[in-house]
Amino acid sequence: MLRKQAQIAGLLVVLAGGLAGARAARAQGNYEIQVYGADTVAPKNLMVELHSNYTPEGQKNYIGGVYPTNHQEHETLELTEGITSWSEVGFYVFTSEQDGHGVQWVGDHIRPRVRAPDSWHLPVGLSLSTEIGYQRAVYSPDTWTWEIRPIVDKIAGRWYFALNPALERTWHGPDVDQGLGFAPGAKVSYDFTRKVSGGVEYYADYGRLGSFDSLHEQQQQIFAVTDLNVSPVWEINIGVGVGPTAGTDHLIVKGILGRRFDWGRHSPTE
Amino acid sequence: MIRDTGTMLGRLSHPALTRRRFTQIFGAAAGSLALSGRAEPAPAVAPDIALEIAPFVLEASPKHRIHTVAYNGQVPGPLLRMREGAAKSMEIRNLTGDPEIVHWHGLYLPSEIDGAMEEGTPMIAPGASARYTMEPNPAGFRWYHTHTFAGKNLSKGQFSGLHGFLLIEPRDDPEARDRELFLALHDWEGRFAGGDDGYMMPAYEVSTINGKMLGFGEPVLVKQGERVLLHLLNSSPTEVHWIALAGHSFQVIALDGNAVPRRQTIPMLRLAPAERVSAIVEMNNPGSWVLGEVRRHVQAAGMGIVVEYANAGGKPVWTQPDELLWNYPQFAKAGETSASGDVARIDLAFESKFQGHGNEELWCINGKSYPHTDEPALTSGRRYRLVLQNKSKDDHPLHLHRHTFEVRRVDGSPELRGMLKDVLLVRAGTTAEVEFTANNPGRTLFHCHQQDHMDRGFMMVFRYA
Repeated sequence: MLRKQAQIAGLLVVLAGGLAGARAARAQGNYEIQVYGADTVAPKNLMVELHSNYTPEGQKNYIGGVYPTNHQEHETLELTEGITSWSEVGFYVFTSEQDGHGVQWVGDHIRPRVRAPDSWHLPVGLSLSTEIGYQRAVYSPDTWTWEIRPIVDKIAGRWYFALNPALERTWHGPDVDQGLGFAPGAKVSYDFTRKVSGGVEYYADYGRLGSFDSLHEQQQQIFAVTDLNVSPVWEINIGVGVGPTAGTDHLIVKGILGRRFDWGRHSPTE
Repeated sequence: MIRDTGTMLGRLSHPALTRRRFTQIFGAAAGSLALSGRAEPAPAVAPDIALEIAPFVLEASPKHRIHTVAYNGQVPGPLLRMREGAAKSMEIRNLTGDPEIVHWHGLYLPSEIDGAMEEGTPMIAPGASARYTMEPNPAGFRWYHTHTFAGKNLSKGQFSGLHGFLLIEPRDDPEARDRELFLALHDWEGRFAGGDDGYMMPAYEVSTINGKMLGFGEPVLVKQGERVLLHLLNSSPTEVHWIALAGHSFQVIALDGNAVPRRQTIPMLRLAPAERVSAIVEMNNPGSWVLGEVRRHVQAAGMGIVVEYANAGGKPVWTQPDELLWNYPQFAKAGETSASGDVARIDLAFESKFQGHGNEELWCINGKSYPHTDEPALTSGRRYRLVLQNKSKDDHPLHLHRHTFEVRRVDGSPELRGMLKDVLLVRAGTTAEVEFTANNPGRTLFHCHQQDHMDRGFMMVFRYA
C-alpha cells in the first residue's frame, strides 16, 4: 500500500514539476468533448470510444490558414488501456471531414492518468490526467500542446458532479509564449432511471492564467447531455451544445459511443 | 416458555412503521422501562446463560484493530451448548449506547423472544437487560446474532461482531468424531462502492475466520487419523464465501444444522450469509495446511486459518482451486416429499427499485417494501409452498424465522425432498421453491439475510390466522 501511494505521489510530483516554467497553450478543437470522471479503466481492460462531433454552426472563415469549423465532422478514436487499479493510458486519433477537404487526419494525443486508490477512502473521486499531442496546423495553429487536468467527482444519490479544472500550454505554435491557459470543464447530471441520466456539461477556455481573455473572446460552451447506462460494458453519451461567445462555435452536436473489452484471463477464483 | 421479568414489552404490530422508525420508538420505550428496571432487586437466581453486549476492539491482526461490538468480550461470541428441549434461562445485558436485540437463528421460539422486532420481540434499551427462559429446539448447529438496523453505518447490525455459535445437542447423537471445530466467516471494515449493477453495495477491507486474519490466529492443531466435525458459519453481513482445506475434502453431513438425506464428499463448501455447513474432515494428510476462502482476493484480505498436524512444521500450504463448486441438489433426494395433504402455494417475487447510482436499491417483495409488504395469514397445521422468484440481478440468501423449510426446487433442479434448511441462496434470475408446515404460531419474519437488503425493505411477516 505504501509503495503504491509512493508511486502515485511520485508521478504527481513529476507532473507538477513539468508545469514549472510552462506558459502558454490553447485547447485543441472540438474533437473530444467530454468531462472526465475520476474512475480509471480496470487493468487488462481496453476501452474503445468513438467521439463523433458535428458543428452545424461554427467559424465560417479561414483564419491564419486554419480551416473553418463550420460543418466540420470530427471523428475521434480513443483507446484507453487500464494499467493498474489506479492508472490508465489513453491514445487518440483525431480526424475531420468537411466539404472541399474530404477526410483528413488531424493529429494524435497520448493521455496517461492516475487516480487516488479506493483504499485512500477519499470522500470524492480524485484523479490527475496529462495529455500530450500533435495536431496539424490547418486544424489548430498550436501544433504541439500539453494539458494537465485534475479531476474531482462525486456521486450523491441520483446526482453526479464532476469538475475538470484543466491547465494547458503550447509547446509549438503561435501561443507558445502565452503561458498556461485555464480551460475548465464541469458536469452535473441526474439519474432519471437506472439507464437514463441527463444533465449539463460546461466547457470553457478562459485564456491565459492570470490574464484571462475578455468574455467575448473566451470559449464558453454549454451542452445538454444524456448518458445511457445500458450495460456495464457500453458507454453512450449524446449532447447538443451552444457557444454564445464570439470565440466559440455556436452550435455543436456530439456523441460518444464506448465499448469496454476485458482481455484478461479470469478464473472464477480471481 | 417466557418468564416476564418486567423488562419485556408486549407484542407490537405497526405495519405502517419503517424499520428505522420502529427502532427509534422501540428503543425509546425500552429505555424508559430500563429506568424502572434498575429500581427492581436483582433476580435471586443467576441465569443459565448470560450475554453481555458491549463495545470491543477486535485485533484481527496487529495492523487491523477493529472497533466493534461483541458478546462477552469476544468475536465470535461464546459457544453456547444446550440440550434439545431442556429449558435454559437467559440474561442479556446491553452495555452499548444503542438498542439491541438477540436473534436465535434456526430455533422454534415464540415470537416474543425469537429476536426480531418485526415479530414483536422487544428491543433491549441501552443499559437495560432482558431475562427469559427458552426451550431450545430443534437439535442442530444454530447461531445467535444481532437483528438491528445498520443503514449506511457499516459497523452496526450484522456488520459488527455480534454473532456466536449455538449447538443444540440432540438427545441421541450417533455421529462419531474425535473433536468438533467451530469456525465463523466474517467480513469487516465495509464501505459502499459502486457495482456493475449500477448501485452502491458494501465492499470489505478485512475478512476473518473466528475474528483473525490468516496467519494471525492460533493454528488448529490436529492429529493424523482424527475425524474432525467441522461446524462452519457464514456470519458475514453480505458476502457469500467458498471455503476449501488444502489437501483434504469435506464430507457434508448437515446444512443449517439439519442432517442431509445424502452425504457428499466434496472439495469445497459454499456458504451464503447465515448459512451453516457441518462436515466431517478425515485428517489423513499430515502437514501444515491452509483452510481458507477459495477466491484469492478474499483470502488475501485475511479469510483463512492454518490447520497443523502434530509434529508437522513448515510453511502452511494452500492449493489454489480453479473453479467455484457448489451444488445444493446433490444433498437432497429426488421426488415427492413425505409430507402429505394439500399444500397452499404462496408466490413471492423479488426485485429492486433503482434509487440512483449513489444509493442502495430499494428492495421489494411482490412490488412492496417493508413495512408495506403483505402479511399472508397462515393456518396452523397447514403446509405451504413458497415459490421464490428472484427477478433481480443479485443472489439472495432468504431466511424464514422460527420454522424449518424443505427445499423442493433450486437452481433449476427437478423436485427434491429431504433437504431441510432455514436459509437458501436463490440465485439471480432463478426461481426456488420451499415448503414448510405452519406449526409454530406467532408472527414470523421472512427476509433476505443480506444486511443492506433487509435494511432497504427486503422483509415481510407471516402471521397466523
